[in-house]
Amino acid sequence: MFNQKKVQLLSGVALCAVVAMGAPTFADTPEGTLVIAINQEPQDLGAQGAYKEINATGLRNVVETLMAVDPVSGDLIPVLAATWERVDGSTMRFTIREGVTFHDGSTLDAEAVATSINWVWSAENAFTIQEYAGPGEITAVAIDAMIVEVTSSEPDPLLEFRMTLGGISSAEQLATTPERHFDTPIGTGPYIFDEWQRGQYWTADVNPEWWGLTADDAYGTTTPDYAELQFVFRSEDAARVAMVQSGEAQIAMFPSSSECDRAADDDDYSCVTGPSTTYLYGRLDHSLHADPILQDARVREAVFLSLDIEGLVGLVGLASVPQGQLGTNEAIGFNDSLSPYAYDPERAMALLAEAEADGVDISALNIEVVGRDSTPRISTIVQAMGAMMQGTGIGNEVRVQTPQEFNPRVRIAGYANEPDRQMMQVHVKQNPSGDYGLLLLSNYACPNIDDPTGPSRSSVYCDEAFDAELSVAMGLYGDDRDAAMQELVQYVHDRHLIVPLALLDRGYLVEDGVEFTFGTDHRLQAVYIDAN
Amino acid sequence: MAYIIKRVINSLVILLITISFVFIAGRLIGDPALNMLGSGASDVALENLRRAAGLNDPIFVQYLRYIGGLLTGDFGVSYRYGFSVLPSEDLAEIGQPVLDIVLERLPATFALAGAALALAVPLGIFMGVTAAANPRSIADRVVTILSLAGVSVVQFWLGLMLIVLFAVQLGWFPTGGYGGWNYVVLPALTLAARPIGRIAQVTRSAVIQELSRPYIVTARAKGVPEIKVVYVHALKNASIPIVTMIGDELSALLTGAILVEKVFAWPGVGLLIIDSLSRSDLPLIQASIAVVAGLVVLVNLLVDLSYRVLNPRIRLSQNEG
Repeated sequence: MFNQKKVQLLSGVALCAVVAMGAPTFADTPEGTLVIAINQEPQDLGAQGAYKEINATGLRNVVETLMAVDPVSGDLIPVLAATWERVDGSTMRFTIREGVTFHDGSTLDAEAVATSINWVWSAENAFTIQEYAGPGEITAVAIDAMIVEVTSSEPDPLLEFRMTLGGISSAEQLATTPERHFDTPIGTGPYIFDEWQRGQYWTADVNPEWWGLTADDAYGTTTPDYAELQFVFRSEDAARVAMVQSGEAQIAMFPSSSECDRAADDDDYSCVTGPSTTYLYGRLDHSLHADPILQDARVREAVFLSLDIEGLVGLVGLASVPQGQLGTNEAIGFNDSLSPYAYDPERAMALLAEAEADGVDISALNIEVVGRDSTPRISTIVQAMGAMMQGTGIGNEVRVQTPQEFNPRVRIAGYANEPDRQMMQVHVKQNPSGDYGLLLLSNYACPNIDDPTGPSRSSVYCDEAFDAELSVAMGLYGDDRDAAMQELVQYVHDRHLIVPLALLDRGYLVEDGVEFTFGTDHRLQAVYIDAN
Repeated sequence: MAYIIKRVINSLVILLITISFVFIAGRLIGDPALNMLGSGASDVALENLRRAAGLNDPIFVQYLRYIGGLLTGDFGVSYRYGFSVLPSEDLAEIGQPVLDIVLERLPATFALAGAALALAVPLGIFMGVTAAANPRSIADRVVTILSLAGVSVVQFWLGLMLIVLFAVQLGWFPTGGYGGWNYVVLPALTLAARPIGRIAQVTRSAVIQELSRPYIVTARAKGVPEIKVVYVHALKNASIPIVTMIGDELSALLTGAILVEKVFAWPGVGLLIIDSLSRSDLPLIQASIAVVAGLVVLVNLLVDLSYRVLNPRIRLSQNEG
């Protein structure tokens, strides 16, 4: 088990206090340079890159979005949009914050916002943000000086989430010097882009006129503490760690788990970790083509109860115990009432005995625990799972396969060729969409053998009642969607279909005295980095 | 003259084969546009890139255009350096000429390779001569062990160890990056380890051989000071294998810089090649490798030609041949 210090999420009370006090100017004069060693140089610093931190690390300090996901609560919070409302299933209306200017002096208004949204989400530009595009094409139009309407050509329940992604940058720059858009970002953020030395670093200076210094609802846990930000590119884990150890940097991004382990023994820096949106899970064959033994609910529950999830998390390394569901607490549909599946070998054995007494041939139970070899430490993990099952009398075989062998077996086309199978597939998946919809569809909806590449191609579960409920939930948005998804998450949890094994964490080596708050999207924003 | 022309033609053929191999390999491993933008790229983005980079043409048309461009100094344009994806057609012309990008990074690589060579040549020769002048002594054994270690050590590991020792523990040098003289010390030392070892080994062997020759005995009998015997007479006559080795190592420094630049985030061509590979920036990969290959071929050619200056017997035998 790792002895690392867990991420220090500031309490809601402290956050409210900061907001309530307001900040007409800097609370303390920003000074010094915050140096952050990051793992890769951005491809570019165009506004669209703000959607994914790893693509353009630090960009959100310069370029802001209409709204954002609060790293502590997971709630949507206002940024450049003062307020917003749903008009219908495909349209949202945003009232733009007054008195905001871009770093080039141009004014933030509805026209500028619409221009930026149309640029970022343009199908013609086809930026990488399209990987987060919804069912329809997103366009924006200014309907008033400070009101903009964003529309998806198809109903889009996640339009709110998508509006937390794309950066809003200077429309004037796009009109006059569009080629500079990619290497000289001009936004509205707390820091003004300074320079980008290719292959080395990029820097930004504090913005003394940032709107957040006077707004009551500014985001962040602190006003900017540092006069300058420097994002230094170091692809080697050890080199990034060495920068913090030598005092050259205050934060090193994504150190190895062994470095985090070592940090616990050092007073000068600490390892701060937090969950990402990637999780390790085991999916047990169930209704389609599976051995009838696995359709007995007691047997499936016994398999889950035989697994010491906390122990497996320790084997994984930088990881935490998932809350009995696939996803993080920021996702729409996250069910806070659920708990991790308990480790209870005695109860597992009792369930098996009960099933056997009812005529289930437990001696024929021989689960094939199969890992995909592209998953880190998979061999150790599946070996441990096999041993745990064996400990409760569940027969099993352990195997690690290449993606070429593994992938066809876990999709409907290949799965249908293995009748009476007893397989538990173990691998990692990601759900960065901030919503349970796609996750439930891809993991639990009936797969269609006639549509072998469809969204539910990897599901081994088929339940028409569930599919009907899911179909309704997918059309909802807002609180209704959240509530409907939560019910469905509870439903699949109770049926012991997929066991979430670990929520993979990502960490940072942080110099002593630096408080760093981040969410599952792991954004490096200076207004969440407090210099004590 | 005929020899020189023959060597130049040989060098150009090797260069052409290398460049052609990289070009063809880049197209055989799959759809270049898909490789560059990734499987998540939209059809629009892929088509924008194919159109702008001429990837819709038959491969031999692309090849002829590429080779023709090289002859006129046009190495192509990168649509990945500075862009996550090629934006709309209106902005297609803002792709950057790859030769400019490579040339911008070349001075850093030259500085690193030059510093490593400046460290390796005197140190390697000094170690080799010291060992040769005192065979089977403690000094000889120390040099043998150190030179063997230098040749065998994995640069990646050595670089990290030097960072831990000299940057983290002692705080004498920065962990990496690019700036004043102190930034070059650790990467140059890492890069120099192997040539120091090899030059020391070759120098030791060549000088020991020279020291057993009759003219050395004569010089010693005449009372020439030992330091002059070793460093002037023996070393001068042992210079051909040493120069050959330095030439070989200079080529190796240019290619070895790739790994060292990555460890120390030294913004040279090596780091550029790694970044280009990770981004599948085909034109930039081609240009970077073409420039490095051209430099390696050039260095080898110059070393070959330098033999004629250093050893008149080679010149005579070539003329006779």
